[in-house]
Amino acid sequence: MKKYIWDGIFKNNPVLVLMIGLCPTVAVSTTVQNALGMGVAVLFVLTMSNLTISLLRPMVPESIRIPIFIIVISTFVTITDYVMHAYAPAIHKNLGIFVPLIVVNCIILGRAEAFASKHTPLPAILDGIGSGIGFTLAILGMAIIRELLGSGKLAGHIVLGTKFAATPILFFSLPPGAFLAIAVLIALTRLRK
Amino acid sequence: MIRMIRSLVLVCVVAAGLLSWVYLFTKDRIEEDTRQKVRANLVELLGDTTLTFKPVIPDTLWEFYRDTTKLGIIFRSYGKGYGGPIPVLVALSMDTTILAIRPATPAEGLKETPGLGTKVTEPDFTNQFKNKKPSQIKLKKDGGEIDAITGATISSRGVVEAVQVGIAKYLKYLR
Repeated sequence: MKKYIWDGIFKNNPVLVLMIGLCPTVAVSTTVQNALGMGVAVLFVLTMSNLTISLLRPMVPESIRIPIFIIVISTFVTITDYVMHAYAPAIHKNLGIFVPLIVVNCIILGRAEAFASKHTPLPAILDGIGSGIGFTLAILGMAIIRELLGSGKLAGHIVLGTKFAATPILFFSLPPGAFLAIAVLIALTRLRK
Repeated sequence: MIRMIRSLVLVCVVAAGLLSWVYLFTKDRIEEDTRQKVRANLVELLGDTTLTFKPVIPDTLWEFYRDTTKLGIIFRSYGKGYGGPIPVLVALSMDTTILAIRPATPAEGLKETPGLGTKVTEPDFTNQFKNKKPSQIKLKKDGGEIDAITGATISSRGVVEAVQVGIAKYLKYLR
């Protein structure tokens, strides 16, 4: 059972190994708060849609499975969007369009198609949690590199001294820095193998 | 075939039901958050927290009061920019003097060139509009008193246009 969770985090990490869901990883990893907000949103949608799709398995005809998956996924994404807007407006404002865009995130449709539609509810939930944590860790890793070097802060607190925070390596806050950071993270993952 | 329709309809109905319930549950807080953001923008525009704002046209026109005295109107209008329409908030006093303007920031939907056209949001540019009459609001090269931003004439002209169009359209609310 535990294997399902660990697989999602390490062996099949959606971002660093399967290379899917790169768009939000690159775009909203500017600060640790944004990354955590995005990670939690994906974790919730992934787990809930995996569970629902696994439960619906017996009544979904093969030929219309994709439309049904999309309806289920977009329902949970919209719920996340409303709840975030109501209870965490600051994070909601920063994440902007990237919360609704979870609908077309390959990780979620990918896990629905490749795993949840072929397994019973318990493994499906565990797989959702595992892949969700895998995504959260990857985007959090990106955010730590980018926020630390790009603004000298972590979660908004100055950690590398005020002198560095005054003239940080701005490059890492900008899109090219995101590509460099993800390249480094993927290279490190490859190195471990 | 019937089975396909049945399962698709069933999933849609359940999804719609669930969504309406979450919508009703979060509606009040979301509306409250939107209202606060709008109010924060209006307060920031005039730099005065003691005013009260009364919406006249939702999301477009407000009257502002100190106690019960009407001091002027704030409206949102649009001018043609380089990358699309430029939304601008304008505060106008009762004697048609422009009190302040605030073009939308890129996060709020400004589509001008980063580093050039986006400079229309900076105080160096927007402060030029303060305490001027509508007839003075033109670029210097068009015979007015506003310095255009170097390299961003179209964006600068777009902001001027937004102010002019808005005044022409909403002047009747200054009563």
